Amino acid sequence: MSGGDLNPAAVPLPVEDRQGDGRWMSQHTRFVQECKDGEPEVLFVGDSMVQLMEQYEIWKEMFSPLHALNFGLAGDTTCNVLWRLQNGELENIRPKVVVLWVGTNNHDHTAEQVAGGIVAIAQLLTNRLPKAKIVVLGLLPRGEQPNPLREKNATVNRLLRSWLPRLGQALFLDVSNEFLHSDGSISSQDMFDYLHLTPTGYNTLAKPLSDLLLQILEETPEERRASLV
Amino acid sequence: MSAEASNPAATPTPCEDSQGDGRWMSQHVRFVSECKEREPDVVFVGDSLVQLMHQFGIWRQLFSPLHCLNFGIGGDATQHVLWRLSNGELDNISPKVVVLWVGTNNHGHTAEQIASGIMEIVQLIHNKLPNAHTLVLGVLPRGRMPNPLRQRNAEVNKLVQDALSSLSHASFFNVDPGFVLSDGSISHQDISVHYHSGLRPCFQRALPSAL
Repeated sequence: MSGGDLNPAAVPLPVEDRQGDGRWMSQHTRFVQECKDGEPEVLFVGDSMVQLMEQYEIWKEMFSPLHALNFGLAGDTTCNVLWRLQNGELENIRPKVVVLWVGTNNHDHTAEQVAGGIVAIAQLLTNRLPKAKIVVLGLLPRGEQPNPLREKNATVNRLLRSWLPRLGQALFLDVSNEFLHSDGSISSQDMFDYLHLTPTGYNTLAKPLSDLLLQILEETPEERRASLV
Repeated sequence: MSAEASNPAATPTPCEDSQGDGRWMSQHVRFVSECKEREPDVVFVGDSLVQLMHQFGIWRQLFSPLHCLNFGIGGDATQHVLWRLSNGELDNISPKVVVLWVGTNNHGHTAEQIASGIMEIVQLIHNKLPNAHTLVLGVLPRGRMPNPLRQRNAEVNKLVQDALSSLSHASFFNVDPGFVLSDGSISHQDISVHYHSGLRPCFQRALPSAL
């Protein structure tokens, strides 16, 4: 695993309020409050890919019924998610599954650093929630045509696939290939700005993710204990 | 109010590809090609608030039937929209209405500069499409509690509304249905909820009268 404690992508950092309306902190504060009010079985955490999901019908149809909370924040890097999780967004809750989707905004870091940052978050989640499964979603390809960020995100995914098994509770789900056409292009029907998903795009991800979550949720500790007897 | 060469908000500027995947240009090229293929009656142009609208049910219900095109790009400021409209996004089409919604991303610019940038866009649209009416939507308040950006956006709206009042080919429309509550706060309620319950009635009033 790369970087150790020198990996900049694994350093917890809040987002500076450069624009002047304090929106990042307002959202973080709201999430901390939601931890006090709610008892989620599933926690989604990450960047705009997570946040936007809650705006579409698919959330109400497939994930709300699972008692899910959405702590996605647009623009977040692994550093920002790490900071949020260490500063209240895991307090008072005991979800059975955490879905983690972050890394595409880490523009200042190499693929190795980004993968290291994601693993660091997964490690933190496992430490704080020893019984929870962590579902890490692969970074999707971006840009209409092949470009360096596609290479980078694919490398992150490759590294995650090989590093995550070391954390017993972590699972990796990557639907990247579903979005690439034979000529290497990505359609605006799936990603309206060649990064963010349309409702159609989310449908492609939602089915395998929902199946996986249902499978995990069906294995409650009570059932596991019973099966060991 | 005139746009001086020194106003960055009124100087056509493409977005730099700082991330490395060329997405801004890909979207612009797609919009230019939509102009060649389609015959819209209404064109929406602006930032993420325009772009996201296209993703929600409200678009299919209210706007698709009106033969609309959506040229919103997330993050765009007035100078980016000015560049796009100067470089193909108004070519080969003759819409009756252009809906312009931009200004909230002009960070570092004063309210005067932003308003000037918006008026520069209105002038450009009128030059290219003399028969079209431009509907300029007010910039929404932002941030959970009162903050400098709310003041800036309110000032932009005031300046733009004043400047538009003397024009016959353009008008101002306030789409804020009362997002700011009595305690000064804005609810975080989902964008989609805002679009559907908050903005929908505003749009329903605005467009029929403009067309």
